[in-house]
Amino acid sequence: MRRRPLGIVLAFAIVLSFSAAASAQTKQASAAPSTPSSFDPRDLSGVWMFDRPRPLTVVERFWMYELTQEEPPMTAWGEAQYKAAKSSFGTHSYPLAETNDSIYHSCTPPGYPRILLHPFPMQVIQGPNEVIMLFEYDSIRHQIFTDGRQHDTSLGPLWMGDAIGHWEGDTLVADTVNFNDKTWLDRVGHPHSDQLHVIERIRRINHDHLIDDITIDDPKAYTKPWTAHLDFLLRLKWTLAEQFCEDQGDFEGIEGDETKPAK
Amino acid sequence: MRNIFLGLALAFAMALGHSAPAIPQTKQPSAPPAAPSSFDPHDLSGVWMQDRPRLGKVVERYWIYELTLEEPPMTAWGEAQYKGHKSSFGTHAYPIAETNDPIYHSCSPTGFPRAFFHAFPLQIVQTPGEVIMLFEWDSLRHQIFTDGRAHDTSLGPLWMGDSIGHWEGDTLVADTVNFNDKTWLDRIGHPHSEQLHVIEHIRRVDHEHLEDEITIDDPKAYTRPWTGRIVFALKPKWTLAEEFCEDIGSFQNIENQETTPAK
Repeated sequence: MRRRPLGIVLAFAIVLSFSAAASAQTKQASAAPSTPSSFDPRDLSGVWMFDRPRPLTVVERFWMYELTQEEPPMTAWGEAQYKAAKSSFGTHSYPLAETNDSIYHSCTPPGYPRILLHPFPMQVIQGPNEVIMLFEYDSIRHQIFTDGRQHDTSLGPLWMGDAIGHWEGDTLVADTVNFNDKTWLDRVGHPHSDQLHVIERIRRINHDHLIDDITIDDPKAYTKPWTAHLDFLLRLKWTLAEQFCEDQGDFEGIEGDETKPAK
Repeated sequence: MRNIFLGLALAFAMALGHSAPAIPQTKQPSAPPAAPSSFDPHDLSGVWMQDRPRLGKVVERYWIYELTLEEPPMTAWGEAQYKGHKSSFGTHAYPIAETNDPIYHSCSPTGFPRAFFHAFPLQIVQTPGEVIMLFEWDSLRHQIFTDGRAHDTSLGPLWMGDSIGHWEGDTLVADTVNFNDKTWLDRIGHPHSEQLHVIEHIRRVDHEHLEDEITIDDPKAYTRPWTGRIVFALKPKWTLAEEFCEDIGSFQNIENQETTPAK
């Protein structure tokens, strides 16, 4: 999306399930889309936008702030981390001036899977040996290697992790490890450690919809693995724009927009 | 490249013109490269590394710090900016503690074309409507729309600019405007203003080499347009790694390695 205000407006329009009356982002559409009836389930390429109904009272948590509505089963260590994380979103949110969300103060990379929860689109690019997710927000890249390589244990700790994937039928199974512990798992401050292991089952269920079933396995932060489900909607006419964290000096504005109850 | 030390080592090996004894980045090679004799000149995809001989005395400037050996023709405003920029590289280099290079202190985006001068590879991915340069350094993107759209004058100012391109024979001509004035043009602090206009002639001269002839047109900073040329070598076995600015805590370290004279 090309500008933040437009971006936010569009994000809202979509989340509110308006038909977003095709405020076309691009003056010309890209290559002619294939007809909706025909699609290759192993072709995930395109621009996708997070698609989740927005609750009436957004302060109830969830919306785009976290992976699932159920409270994940935290260990004592996890609970302590979570209490210390002063998010500006969610039920126990802090005013912006008091948040210790590092994104707000120093524009550090949001990490994975948190990046999925920022209200901007992502573009999937596919090569013979990799599936690349390009996030509009902060120019973040998540590269899943599908060339048969193993995790490289000499790597890390990494912000976005070391991701490898393979196809099981029409499902891309991605496995990501080698994380640092500098990021929150989501925007309300759920924790993770450097033992975080993310398993995703990504599937294009039809021409317009992509689903990502995510399992979070982090024995230091959670008592058992837990799962979440994310939906994405294809946006044929959208292209990614520049959206660096550095330009969002006005987080207060975003906050105001995002925490307005849906009408 | 998978870690900075290996990255630098490789960058050096290449810059020194050694045959860089194929320290493979990946455990398994990617798809077998097309036979060197056959290539589609309109296919720029692959991982590319800047290929420029390193001077005997790196403090002589240039190497991968700036676009050309010749001093660009600065206006009085340009000269004043340049004098105010305390780069830690080049002939009038300042110690790290005194540099006011924005990258060093806040990890802000390098901007374009400066992103070319960080000693890391880039990957080009191509879709029907765009050619995207993915820089290993700081996850930056240079997205060139080739779908026929015009510049969007409602955009900007942007860190990486607003890029459109078209093919002239086998040359991709990319035109980038809508820049902010928060970045340096290169790593030694040559300036640019919001009037910066970058014209690139990108051509795959043979299977292994890509050439980018870059014209800088910025009437506020320079008395006339001027041109530099960067050559890239294809690295069929490389894949990009994570290389966020935030992890490079020890710029001093990089500095020391990069300013060690070539042997």
